[in-house]
Amino acid sequence: MSPPLAASRLRRMLALVPWILAHPGTTINELAHRFDVSAGEVEADLALLPMCGLPPYTADRLIDVWVADDGAVTIRLAEYFDRPLRLTGSEGVALLVVGRALLAVPGSDPNGPLARALEKLEQVLGARGALSIEVGAADHLDRLTHAAADAEQLELDYYSFARDEMTTRVVDPLRVFHTLGAWYLAGYCHRAQADRLFRVDRVRGIRSTGQRSPAHRSDDDDDEELVDRVYRPDPSDPRVELQLRPEAAWVAESLPTEEARPRADGGWDVVLAVSGPAFLERLLLRLGPAATVIAPPEAQAARADAAARILARYQA
Amino acid sequence: MSERLERLVNLTATLLDTRRPLTLEELAERLEPSYPAQKVARRRAFERDKETLRNLGVPIITTPVDALTNELGYRIRPEDYYLPDPGLSSDERAALHVAVTAVRLEGGEAREGLSKLGGVEGTPAPALAALEVTSGLGELFDAVARRRTVDFDYRGEVRHLDPYGVVHRFGHWYVVGRDRDKDALRSFRIDRLDGPPRPGAEGGFEAPVDFDPSTALRADPLTYGDDEPVTAQVLVDVSHAAWVVDKLGEPAVVERRADGGVVVALDVVNREAFRSFVLGLLEHAEVLAPPELRQDIVDWLRAVAEPVA
Repeated sequence: MSPPLAASRLRRMLALVPWILAHPGTTINELAHRFDVSAGEVEADLALLPMCGLPPYTADRLIDVWVADDGAVTIRLAEYFDRPLRLTGSEGVALLVVGRALLAVPGSDPNGPLARALEKLEQVLGARGALSIEVGAADHLDRLTHAAADAEQLELDYYSFARDEMTTRVVDPLRVFHTLGAWYLAGYCHRAQADRLFRVDRVRGIRSTGQRSPAHRSDDDDDEELVDRVYRPDPSDPRVELQLRPEAAWVAESLPTEEARPRADGGWDVVLAVSGPAFLERLLLRLGPAATVIAPPEAQAARADAAARILARYQA
Repeated sequence: MSERLERLVNLTATLLDTRRPLTLEELAERLEPSYPAQKVARRRAFERDKETLRNLGVPIITTPVDALTNELGYRIRPEDYYLPDPGLSSDERAALHVAVTAVRLEGGEAREGLSKLGGVEGTPAPALAALEVTSGLGELFDAVARRRTVDFDYRGEVRHLDPYGVVHRFGHWYVVGRDRDKDALRSFRIDRLDGPPRPGAEGGFEAPVDFDPSTALRADPLTYGDDEPVTAQVLVDVSHAAWVVDKLGEPAVVERRADGGVVVALDVVNREAFRSFVLGLLEHAEVLAPPELRQDIVDWLRAVAEPVA
């Protein structure tokens, strides 16, 4: 939930005023860009300031704002706001998180401006080396990132985890990104004739087709949508309904469920999308007696079948 | 709306400027736009302002000003309020801007932090990563930075931890530090904490110099637990060998077979996690040793294959 308007404006003003005090003559347009708001909003903030100050609110105690014809802003009599409000714990950690995450991406410059900025921030926060982020390096990451940037069409050998099978498919790579502890390649899959996500650590082989990928749109909305798709089940996937004992409550918490109803005993009734038969087999094997299949009956049979296949190895 | 905003700015300025704590009565006398005259309404309006400021991170402290009446006074200590200048250069600020746009994080805290540091410079970057921030992370990081011992509930036990650092690995957040009761390094998955962590006073402990939290976290959740440690050997078929070796690391390989399969060794301290790992490989893997873990898999699968109706 976004904070109420008064709070978010106050937050901005407590950042805006120190910046202007340190950089007199900065223009309204520069401020708007820097603080990511419209020029009108900056003007409204500046218009409020001359009403603010210290008791008894006489002319010598009120903040003095001067805007020149060219938009250059000068502020006086606001010494108590000459430095910004310190970072909150969540702001500090959020900045370090995004910075450290980017720095952990293979190929980042470990001594560049970002690294220097983070060291300074950690110093100020008193948290030198207190945060470590690992995004992991998957094989082929570099190759796929370049292919996406250069619109190079690829043929991939890809292991489908949900179906437990190897596939070969022609893909127009769009973007490589990291989320939920794994690297993903988003691209147009010619086999599926649709955009698909591929886990980079499941790409087993890469060959160039010698073709260039057709131009694809790539704006911010698509980014959001791609990232979202990692979490969202396919509407055409079959569903399974399970009754879970309390020790399997993590399923309701960690997997994207279609429905989740708590039970009186601390367990859950859940409905899950099944992205592939192997996904269901693994889940049911892992849960063992902690899960009862309510529907469909084939899911129960799939679990018994998978257990029997594995047992065969141990009895050979 | 702008009246309230004006009063919030003035309240902040006044509390920052004062050398001694001011009572609500004193504040009400001085501040413009003024608080309601009626006492209950005045208290309510002030509490709401105080709450708004605290939510923004404005550190208002409350101290009794009169031992007899227990009356409270309020002020902001400048040393608590002001951000020490990190001295960022223009290219460093631009690099942070790239990071804030390249790495998607739920909530707007990174952007808000950046605006305190002087706002955005340079150009944004396309999304490269999305991370989830778990609740409790901000408090725990703050506890690391301010050396506060934290108490929290974890799997039905109260833990007392001197937090040394936080680590993001495998898509999860961990807090690492010294467990005061066990007098040993421990790590905890932050999303598994029951309820928010309860931080103690600032400067409650000394952290080791040059501590690297990532080395304190055991390599894999698989090897993460309190069961009697035992070394297991698992045969993995060629189809899944590369993935498993990538996950466990080359040193885990004890044998490479002619058909491309590998035998890996791993230290098991969490049998449940080990079972999940092996079953996740379906019929492409087999526990070779020790016999007790092999039997555990067989017993588990038999129970699953023929469930009691």
